[in-house]
Amino acid sequence: MADAIPTPLDGGVLHEAPRRVRSRRGPLAYVLRAVVVLYLFFLVVWPVSVVVQRAFAPVDGKPGGIGPLWERLTDPAAIYAFNLTLTISFWAVVINTIFGVGISLLLVRHRFPGRRALSVLIDLPMSVSPVVIGLALVLTYSTSLGLFGDVLQATGLRIINSTPGLIMATAFVSLPLVIREVVPVLEEVGEDSETAAKSLGANGWQAFWRITLPTIKWAVVYGVVLSAARAIGEYGAVRIVSRGAEFNGETATLLIQNEYQAFNEAAAYAAAFVLVVLAVLALVVVTVLRPQESHRS
Amino acid sequence: MSIEIAGVNKFFGDFAALTDINLTIPTGQLTALLGPSGGGKSTLLRVIAGLEDADTGSVTIEGTDATAMPVQKRNVGFVFQHYAAFKHLSVRRNIAFGLEIRKRPKAEVNAKVDELLELVHLTAWADRKPAQLSGGQRQRMALARALAIEPSVLLLDEPFGALDAKVRKELRDWLRRLHDEVHVTTVFVTHDQEEALEVADEIVVINDGRIEQVGSPDELYDAPANDFVMGFLGDVTRLGGVLIRPHDIDVHTSAGAPGAVAGEVVRLNRVGFEVRLTVRTGDGEETAVVVTRADARATDVAVGSPVWLVPHRGATTVAPLPA
Repeated sequence: MADAIPTPLDGGVLHEAPRRVRSRRGPLAYVLRAVVVLYLFFLVVWPVSVVVQRAFAPVDGKPGGIGPLWERLTDPAAIYAFNLTLTISFWAVVINTIFGVGISLLLVRHRFPGRRALSVLIDLPMSVSPVVIGLALVLTYSTSLGLFGDVLQATGLRIINSTPGLIMATAFVSLPLVIREVVPVLEEVGEDSETAAKSLGANGWQAFWRITLPTIKWAVVYGVVLSAARAIGEYGAVRIVSRGAEFNGETATLLIQNEYQAFNEAAAYAAAFVLVVLAVLALVVVTVLRPQESHRS
Repeated sequence: MSIEIAGVNKFFGDFAALTDINLTIPTGQLTALLGPSGGGKSTLLRVIAGLEDADTGSVTIEGTDATAMPVQKRNVGFVFQHYAAFKHLSVRRNIAFGLEIRKRPKAEVNAKVDELLELVHLTAWADRKPAQLSGGQRQRMALARALAIEPSVLLLDEPFGALDAKVRKELRDWLRRLHDEVHVTTVFVTHDQEEALEVADEIVVINDGRIEQVGSPDELYDAPANDFVMGFLGDVTRLGGVLIRPHDIDVHTSAGAPGAVAGEVVRLNRVGFEVRLTVRTGDGEETAVVVTRADARATDVAVGSPVWLVPHRGATTVAPLPA
């Protein structure tokens, strides 16, 4: 190709009008703000701060502070519980990320009979009580009650009262989170850049790794953080599928409940404090990611 | 012969998007697929690219039967209306994409990309992200990206449709000059007859999934095959039972010219340099006539004036299809 061809001067930059939020002034606005602040304070801030405060407070004559808190958290039962929670959450998030991205692509990029039904089905874990989910898993996979009980017994594979069951229950309750983040982004960006990549010679796999995945990257990360937060905090479904005894399927949330009921409140508050810290961390990550998301365009 | 399309039919459900398309697109030319929205022209382009499969028929590109070939293998450059920029990659990496997929040596890729950046005048923007470019620049980037793989055909789907009028006009002049330089067989889809008439070597008019006419811009304008083609390429009115363009009618203020149709001016509208008249002729038909402002002043026509209308010498007229 020879000399460059002179190009027209560029105009046509799209001007996006800054979105303006109408700022309201007047007595009503202040009343509304006060109501919201009070509501959040009494419902969220105060109770959570009490937990944090109790975690550091002296209990039953023992001194408070960071040292005793650390001691309670490094108790072997607590270490086991957090270890189990992190293991379960890790696998649940990995499974939901892989399937979540796959299902999102299926929902957005393909038209097939039953697509709407599938979309509704994915929201089911959000609307069904986790306890019911736990119960359903027990009914299906336990060796005594389960539909495949005999098969499971024969293979020696334990699901219920074992880590696989906990992972399944946790994956179930956090199933929609990645999908609900990724689907809108896929819908918004459309299919053109993937098609363009294919016209340039990329096969489906290359188009996915080089084009689709970088495009939905922040949505996936956001979904992963939400899933992780949900998985770490899961209680109801886990309660049903786990034995929930010390060193035997006791996750962090079960530990809190067990210790609290055993009048060992100090240990319960300490573990609760860690869950609060993890939740705040997740919120910080999400807040840091949000602006980046809007920069993508 | 670069692209041969034979017996192509395409249905979306019950809707016939393309009906019995037979078309030969010559090598090295700029061909426009022109027609109204929903007429099937974009579908035809996507069938050529391999983005849609035809239900029947065959597509041959440069002598190779491409009918069953996936888009990756057809070696076609495709440019989208909305640029389809790879937003996370720099302009340079966007253009290099096809070459990187083909695993060309780095030095070769860089040299080729530099050449293309210069060709589309984006050298200074090479390290920017697409979001930092204007619409016109993004489309030039998309064009360079498609040209990088040295395609046997370049396909453009409403390439300037998302740009504002001024940039659009500049870019299509630029495309014409680019094509004169690069000579790659190019097919572009447009619904804008002015764009097609101005840029293309050959125009294929498509309506309702059928090809209405194929020809050079002059052939189509001077000898439209039917009333649809005539109407799509410009304004049309009826005079004495035939279709004619409103600016091809002479207005006389006295009888006597042979073949003149008598009538009365019922509306008069001045728009810029032209004056648009509506004339009711004897048989109750209303004929639109466009004259220059100077002509209107010279003949002194006004609403209610009796006038005699005569087709201009050499005017194109077409008999309307029987309804």
